Amino acid sequence: MSSKNIRRQHKAFIASSDDSKICVVMVGLPARGKSLIAGKAMRYLGWVGIPARVFNVGSYRRFSTPQPQAAFFDPHNEEGERMRRAAAEAAMADMLQWFNTGKGVVAILDATNSTKERRRWIYEKCHEADIEALFVESICDDEDLIMTNIKEVKTTSPDYKGQDPEVAALDFRNRIRNYEKVYETIDDDEKQYTYVKLINVGSTVIINQIKDYLSSRLVYYIQNIHIKPRSIWLSRHGESEFNLTGRIGGDSNISERGEAYARALPELMRKSGIPENTKIVIWTSTLRRTIQSARHLKAETGYEKLEWKALDELDSGVCDGLTYEQIAEKYPEDFAARDEDKYNYRYRGGESYRDVVIRLEPIIMELERSENVIIVTHQAVLRCIYAYFMNVPQEQSPWMEVPLHTLIKLTPRAYGTEEQRFKANIPAVSTWRGKGTSARHQEFHAAEGGKVDGTETKH
Amino acid sequence: MDTLLTAEIVANSPRFRRKSSIFVDAIHDLPEKADLAPAQLYSTESGRLFHSGRIVIITVGLPARGKTHISVALARYLRWLGVKTRIFHLGDYRRATIPFGEDMPDDYFFVNATAKSVLLRQKIVRKCREDIYHFLNHENGQIAIYDAVNPLASGRRSLAKEFAKHDIETLFIESWCDDERIIEENVRRVKISSPDYVSWKSEDAVKHYLNRVYSRIPQFQTMEEKDLNYIKMINAGERLIVNNRSFGYLSNRIVFYLLNLHIKSRRTYFVRAGVSLDADSYKADASLSEQGEDYAKKMTERLLAHREEEKQAMIERGETGYESRPLKVWTSTRRRTVETAKYLHEYGYKIRQRSQLSQLNPGVCEKMSESAIRAEFGDDVAKHELDPYHHRYPRAESYHDLAVRLEPIILELEREQTDLLIIAHESVLRVLYGYLMACNAADIPFLEFPRDEIIEIVPESYQNEAQRIHIPDLPEEIIPASPEDLKIPVPPSGVVSPTQGLGTPEGQVTPQSGHRTPSGIQTPSGIRTPRERERISQQHVEDVV
Repeated sequence: MSSKNIRRQHKAFIASSDDSKICVVMVGLPARGKSLIAGKAMRYLGWVGIPARVFNVGSYRRFSTPQPQAAFFDPHNEEGERMRRAAAEAAMADMLQWFNTGKGVVAILDATNSTKERRRWIYEKCHEADIEALFVESICDDEDLIMTNIKEVKTTSPDYKGQDPEVAALDFRNRIRNYEKVYETIDDDEKQYTYVKLINVGSTVIINQIKDYLSSRLVYYIQNIHIKPRSIWLSRHGESEFNLTGRIGGDSNISERGEAYARALPELMRKSGIPENTKIVIWTSTLRRTIQSARHLKAETGYEKLEWKALDELDSGVCDGLTYEQIAEKYPEDFAARDEDKYNYRYRGGESYRDVVIRLEPIIMELERSENVIIVTHQAVLRCIYAYFMNVPQEQSPWMEVPLHTLIKLTPRAYGTEEQRFKANIPAVSTWRGKGTSARHQEFHAAEGGKVDGTETKH
Repeated sequence: MDTLLTAEIVANSPRFRRKSSIFVDAIHDLPEKADLAPAQLYSTESGRLFHSGRIVIITVGLPARGKTHISVALARYLRWLGVKTRIFHLGDYRRATIPFGEDMPDDYFFVNATAKSVLLRQKIVRKCREDIYHFLNHENGQIAIYDAVNPLASGRRSLAKEFAKHDIETLFIESWCDDERIIEENVRRVKISSPDYVSWKSEDAVKHYLNRVYSRIPQFQTMEEKDLNYIKMINAGERLIVNNRSFGYLSNRIVFYLLNLHIKSRRTYFVRAGVSLDADSYKADASLSEQGEDYAKKMTERLLAHREEEKQAMIERGETGYESRPLKVWTSTRRRTVETAKYLHEYGYKIRQRSQLSQLNPGVCEKMSESAIRAEFGDDVAKHELDPYHHRYPRAESYHDLAVRLEPIILELEREQTDLLIIAHESVLRVLYGYLMACNAADIPFLEFPRDEIIEIVPESYQNEAQRIHIPDLPEEIIPASPEDLKIPVPPSGVVSPTQGLGTPEGQVTPQSGHRTPSGIQTPSGIRTPRERERISQQHVEDVV
């Protein structure tokens, strides 16, 4: 047989795409952390390179009923029931269409999905479209935790925007009562479904009929997250001797100005706002400049400290110890290739951003399991961690500017992560290099950075 | 610690003496020197990863629930990740303590056993526990797997307390079944293959075995202890219940792995892709040549004939279940691997293309001659010779990169319940084989897969075994391992260049045939000691627990 023939036949039996499509169906009463789980799962999947999207039924309902009263959710309110059903159908239709484009791999259907009937409807719809339904139920009977969540929701949910917080909280509790009237937990009638039941934030987890690898990986992730309030602080190391001479990599000491930042860090942390009785853990890399930068913080506060090899700076291989100018001169092709696709570019004998993301996965899992943590690490590593929390696309994250001597505080909320930046007002060089330039490290003046000790908040 | 008794156990237990071969899974041997594990992402000074503490994993479950299988599979995965793990089968200690030929007392597992039996039991458990402490405290061990029945809640609580005193965390893994078919299948597969049941009808033997188990261990309490960390696997992974008191990174990772594990027996076959028109080019993705086409046909025929023989052998032995072992085929997305599956597709087998299975990327050295590589990348050649597993040529992947990239495939490999044929490039086969057979990372780049052999991995509950099935009548020039491999100067691999006649006679399966193994290969870093191959015999009848 000629090879042409083989090729034709070969085309005929190419199997379809080998990734299964998954619809994660959230199940649970309001204020059980469903949106938080959904949002996090989406960010995690995006970060590891799996296209994912959340379809929030509430936001479809808001088109017709932007700020409904609790009575709207009364199961006896036929009009409310009809509109909520319409919202669910609209979300489902959009989700199926998104899968049809061929780009979608994981969709997350974020709603209460509190009855067996509703779940069967979803299961059948997914089944028809050859999509695996994975039900994720969050059950919680810890009243303190529910109250914390209610407070959180009433301050951040679009449903209560601009309303008196006390009135909002009361209305929200009534809404939950309405849902409780009809709520059915996933039980043995539904044992043919693939499901995960998280009881009291994962202290007991029941995992049923996992059918594919991707679902198992999602379950693994979900099992690592918690919904307790906390913050994560990120900081680069203080200015290093290498920073001063514009060289990358290495394991140099911090400069005098870097030492000043190390001394200022405890006060900067305090100013950023630490709730009372909060235990914070310090994480550094194993390189001198991060350990030195966290030295005074540890000595003054007595916080526990961990050194992680996985937090070490992106390995620049043969370029370690060179300046950007020297790299452009010695390895012009590499330099250009890196600008073209910085996320995937791997230094000769070193790492790419993609490699760093892979080695950071255990760190992300550990970070999800932890509560309050300050991470003192390096530019590239910090960009990757920041990209995970703030949902920065892969092509942008390697170009993000993260100045020296600045503390970033991230606080996860139900509807996104809140970011605040605190500048230490200690001058340092800027190590940021724009695309297509080989700019030398530039002197950074605190005044240019805007308000000293100022904060910027974005969602 | 009582060294005398340990020595006695070592002397009595065949399993502690053995050195694994390349055909027998090395899961019960710890590498002698600290070496990075195949998929280890980073190392720490303590030798322990992820700043996790030390954990004892304690199995819970009646015999024939797959406890040993789970222990061994888990150890294989953890070791692959670079977690220093060792399995302590309590049965080994019992066999070593109770003199050969003597039965264990009938009331050995009874709650109200005689003082003599209780003492014996305590002696055995103490020995095993001392070895666990030694491993975790003095050998940089991170996870010890304590494989025993542990039927009572009170006993489990005191174990947890005992280990906590030594600052060691505990994680219980229960395998619980109410599906009789799974239990019977398990008994049939791993428990009644002993000579004692030779003339028995399979179903009678199963009944006899289970009656023995239930009369010996009359009391079993499933785990409900909310104060302990546990994972309960129900009906071989149909459902998992996780009771999380203080799970660390590794415990969660274990749940992830267990979500993909099942306890059914299935075989994995590895074959190379056929030769292609432009064999040297990684980028070209050429189609099969005439010879490659011929190879695809002969490989398919040999494989199907072999499976038919196995089926007949099963029928003769009165075994069932062969019909539940259909074959699936995975190929990479490279044209020559897909085309090698062509005839199998024609026979109606399901072919699945997996992009992750694509070969090690050779980088810029592709198509360069050895002398050119030496001239241009002299430093790299030197580095490669020092550490061929981790070294990357410019723009290339290392075997380590490949291993990390194959992690999803490895979990899906565990997940697959039917027999599986993987057609892939030799570099990929090396890594997958290295995982299934618990090879040392340093050995992986030297594993050889000549084209005239189908590798069959047969899982036993205690370890995996590899067999090589000869494909007859192939032209000599397409057989050698790595003819189209990277033109990267890997150290000379002494025993390669197979000559005709050295191979296995047609149609014969040689599980222990020694030719063309990486053992005894000389490398610039020294001579690798040849490994002995020893057959492990097990006494299944006494092995009720």
